[in-house]
Formats: sequence, C-alpha cells, structure tokens
Amino acid sequence: MNFVESTEQLELRKAVAAMAQGFGKDYFRTEAREGRSGREIWLEAGRLGYLGVNLPEKFGGGGAGIYELALVLEELAASGCPLLMMVVSPAICGTIISRFGTEEQKEQWLPGIADGSKIMAFAITEPDAGSNAHQITTTAHPAPDGGWLLSGRKVFISGVDHADAVMVVGRTSSAEGYLRPALFIVPTADIEYQPIAMELVSTEKQFMVFLDEVALPASAIVGGADADLQQLFAGLNPERIMAAAFSVGLGRYALARAAAYMKERSVWGTPIGAHQGLAHPLAQAAIEIELAKLMMQKAACLYDSGDDRAAGEAANMAKYAAAEAAVRAVDQAVHSLGGNGMTVEYGLAHLVNVARVSRVAPVSREMILNFVAQQKLGLPKSY
Amino acid sequence: MKIVVLVKQVPDSGAERNLRPDDNTVDRSSANNVINEMDEYAIEEALRLQEAHGGEVTILTMGPERASESIRKALSMGPDGAVHVLDNALSGTDALGTSRVLAAALQRINPDVVLCGAESTDAGGQVLPHMLAERLGIAALTGARKLTVEGSQLTIERQTEEGYEVVTAATPAVVSVWDTINEPRYPSFKGIMAAKKKPVETLSLADLGVSAEQVGWTGALTGVASHSKRPPRSAGQKVADSGEGGVQLVEFLTNEKFV
Repeated sequence: MNFVESTEQLELRKAVAAMAQGFGKDYFRTEAREGRSGREIWLEAGRLGYLGVNLPEKFGGGGAGIYELALVLEELAASGCPLLMMVVSPAICGTIISRFGTEEQKEQWLPGIADGSKIMAFAITEPDAGSNAHQITTTAHPAPDGGWLLSGRKVFISGVDHADAVMVVGRTSSAEGYLRPALFIVPTADIEYQPIAMELVSTEKQFMVFLDEVALPASAIVGGADADLQQLFAGLNPERIMAAAFSVGLGRYALARAAAYMKERSVWGTPIGAHQGLAHPLAQAAIEIELAKLMMQKAACLYDSGDDRAAGEAANMAKYAAAEAAVRAVDQAVHSLGGNGMTVEYGLAHLVNVARVSRVAPVSREMILNFVAQQKLGLPKSY
Repeated sequence: MKIVVLVKQVPDSGAERNLRPDDNTVDRSSANNVINEMDEYAIEEALRLQEAHGGEVTILTMGPERASESIRKALSMGPDGAVHVLDNALSGTDALGTSRVLAAALQRINPDVVLCGAESTDAGGQVLPHMLAERLGIAALTGARKLTVEGSQLTIERQTEEGYEVVTAATPAVVSVWDTINEPRYPSFKGIMAAKKKPVETLSLADLGVSAEQVGWTGALTGVASHSKRPPRSAGQKVADSGEGGVQLVEFLTNEKFV
C-alpha cells in the first residue's frame, strides 16, 4: 500500500485549489443564492481538463482515474466551490458511457462531458421506489419504429435545468412481458420537469421529472438493449466516492474557516482557539475528516484498480464516514464562531443543511448500514 | 521567436520568512518554496507571445536541487523546456554574480526576448534585468504593464507612479513585467502530466565557462552584515469622538505630514 500521492496528483491539488480560490467562495455562494449554476467556474474547470480527468484521452479526457476526479472535487469543495454536478456528469454518466456505452455514444457525449460544455444529469430515484433499483417502475415499451416509448416519474434529480440530457434508469418490457433494467440517454428538451423547493443554498436545483411516452431511438439505450444492470453499479461506486469527496472538502472548508477565526478572535486576552473546550472538538472533527478521506482514497484506488466488488464496500463506507464527519465538522465550526457562525457574512451557517444532504444522498446512511450489516457481518435482512 | 523566461524559486511570501542567523541569507530550508510570484506573469506573457507569434519558450533557473520543483511547476503552465544552472559553488552569489551566470546561460540559448518578473519577493532589488541587459549589450525594457511585438520591434508601457511611459526597442531585449500585465493561467491537467516529460538541461558553472571565484561567497561584491527582526508595532493613538473627533484626526494627519 502507498499513502504518498504522486507529484502530478499534488500539483493537480494545488492547481485546482488556486483556480477555485481565484473565483472565490463568495462568487460561488452568490451564484447559489441568486439561483445561478456557477457556469463560469464549471467551464474553466472543464477547459483546464479538471472535470474530465477520469475520462479516456481518446475522448478528450485526462486518462487518469476516479482518484484524480475525487481529488478535484475535494479541492473545489475545500476552497468553497463544490461543483456538485461533478458527482453526476463526469463521475456517474461519464464512467458508465466510457465503460459500457457504444462507440457512437462515447463520441457524442464524452468530449463534451470532459470539457464541461455538455452536462448529463442522472435520474434513478422514484417517488415509490426510492433508490431501490429493483422496484423501479419507469418503463420503456418497444415502439413500432424499433425505438422505445419511455414513461415514468423521477424525484430529487439534480441539475436537470442546465443539463443537455438525463441518463434515466428504467426497465425495458419485451413482448413476453419480461422486464429488464436499462439506462436511457434522454435529451432534456424531450422531458418535463419541475423544481422542488428546497431549503438549500446550492448551485444545483432539485427536480421532479415526468416521462410520458417519451419517444426514443433504439440508440438511446446505453450499451444497447442487451446491456445489464452491472453497468449501473459501475457508475454508482464513483458516485459514492465523489459524494465522499464532496463531504471531505466541505469539512475541510469548515474546519479551516473555524480555525482561522479561533486564532484571531480573542476574549480575555487569549485567542479562543487556545481553549480546549473549542480546540478539542475541532481537532476531533479534523481527525474524523482525515479518516473519512483515507477511506475515500482507498475506495478510489480499489475502483481504479478494476476491483468493482471491493470498491463497492469501501465506497459505501467512505460515503457514510465522510457525511457523518462533515455534518459534525460543520456543526462544530458554526458553533466555534459563536453568533458570527450564524451570520451570512461568515459563510458557514448555510453549510449545516448542505452537509446533511450527504447523509441521505445518494443513498441514506441507514441503507449503507444495512448493506454493511448484511454483506460484511452476515446479519439477517429485515426488509 | 525564441523566448526565455527567468524563474526564481523563493520562499512563499504568504508565510513567515526568516534570514539564517549564521550567514544572513534567506532561510530556504524551512520555507515553502514557490515560484517568485511576478515570474508567473512573465511566463504567462511569454506563452501569449508564443501563441501569437510562434516560436519556443524556455525557462531559465539558477538555484539548488530543489528549484527543480519550481521548474516543473513552470513547465506545467506550458513552456517547452528548461535550463537549470545548478552548482554548489553558487551558494552565496549576489545579484552581480547571478547576472554573470544567467548572462552566460542566455548567450548559449541566444533568445530574441528575455522575460522576467520586475522583482523577486525575497530580495526585491529590481536590478537583475538591467544587469543582464548591460552584460549582454542588449536593451532593457523594464517594469512593463503591457508588451506588444511587431516584427522585431518591442513596445512596452512602463508603469510609473503617475501613469506610464511608452518605451520601444528592437530585439533582442530583456523585458521585466509587473503583475498588472496579465492574469497568469492555471496549469491544466494535461500540462501537469506533460511537465515531467519536457526536457530540462542541467548546466554547471564549468559548462558556462564561469569560474567559481567569480560567484558564490568569494565573488560577491555585496553582503548582508547583520539583520534583526522588525520591531513590534507600537500602540497607535486612539481618538475618542466627543463631537470633535474629526478635527483631532486631521490634526494627527497634519502632524504626521500625511496631509
């Protein structure tokens, strides 16, 4: 095992952090508060090759792995510019298309996803199925022209409004009535969607998506009609690793803001950071973030080594640990600033809700605990 | 167009910097060493010239082994290659000695334009571009906030306290730049990956035909005799406003000759 990052990985960290700090946390927060998507920083990150580091060089990517992509998102988040759509567009959709897509799909989508000029959203969650991929009811029926008619409903889909297309998880029905899972690339122009009002300061809005017999060509199925559910899980491991990177970066951001404040703020002649009542909880949060980061790095290394199965367990654990650590780090950071922690000026309070998102998305912590209880400990299933 | 950019590795100006107690030189061992900030603007300007006029951009650095980190960082922004002057005898070299070494290296490369930052954040002498131009017998266009090239004619806007002066010269020339000239790019992922594959030529003093006596401690004409920490700031004067605070402020400023 090796815990030393390469010179290139360290340089990438520095370059991404410098770029994000050039835009600044205030730029990003203003974009989110005023309902914009942070388009400028997204395109700049794409132009510099940061968004597509994991995608094949042949299709405009950097030819590196999920490790590097996670590093990019971690540094962006640590600088106050968490580009949430990185979890979806290059990590989920980019991975699935580059691993299982047809040559035509790769050529059509990967270069744009890599340079940020195209964004693909991802729709799995349904009102009645949650994230249970086995109960998904969105269904494609064969159309007379050889294509598909796709119908169903999706909820909590991020960033549909600025996506060019949505990768929809559904099922195909055959003449024999047999249903099999499939992924469809659906142009955003062909679907109806409505924003869900959220108590979140985020550059990505959440949407309900309505698919009512949307006509799709046969080529809309990722990898063709015979591709199986395996490809879905190929995309979900990077999703969890990226969710962990988002939380780790957010936690680092909160810790750094709190530490800076605690060094400056002085009451009774001593900086408040010298008081163990504040120093120890923050140090504890820093340890938890670091541990979560280590698991995220392990999961990314396993994934990049091609071991999907081992990566699955590590990715789930990393997502769980990072979300919990980020919630606590943000909570302690806000508390460390006293009343200032709740002001708009100090830019921390809104992260209380943002950090909590990772507890329920992309998969709830309870589902991860179920997974570990059953898979790792061999405990019986309750559902 | 052949362009050389001078890049110096310096201790990060954002962190605390110290002089060594034994020889009064900058303590580089404990510092986070980075590219001199102003040099990044010179690199950016060189890359823009290359994009507009073609040619090749070479980084030239004189410094110890660890300066290779800064060379690599500079190369990740896009230049084609680098020359690293590395020799143990260089320790203690002053500005004159540095200009001797860099001039010898520049004569080997024979560039059309030498770009550099107007000053370094550690020494801050602003003398090197002039010394180099003098040694090479070429023009010095210093303190540029804008540079334009037409054929072999270089035109700069030299930043002054009141405004700017327009200065022209024919190539070859040394051009030093301020941070008002452009906005340096961030290294792209491809640039970072390509940096380690780019050629870096390492040259010793012998390669350059410079003798060890002309540089280092022995060759230095200037030296730092002693140093001390800046004294802590004394407490300021508080003005309590009881209706005539403004008057007191103006009096204070007048006494200090600010107004």
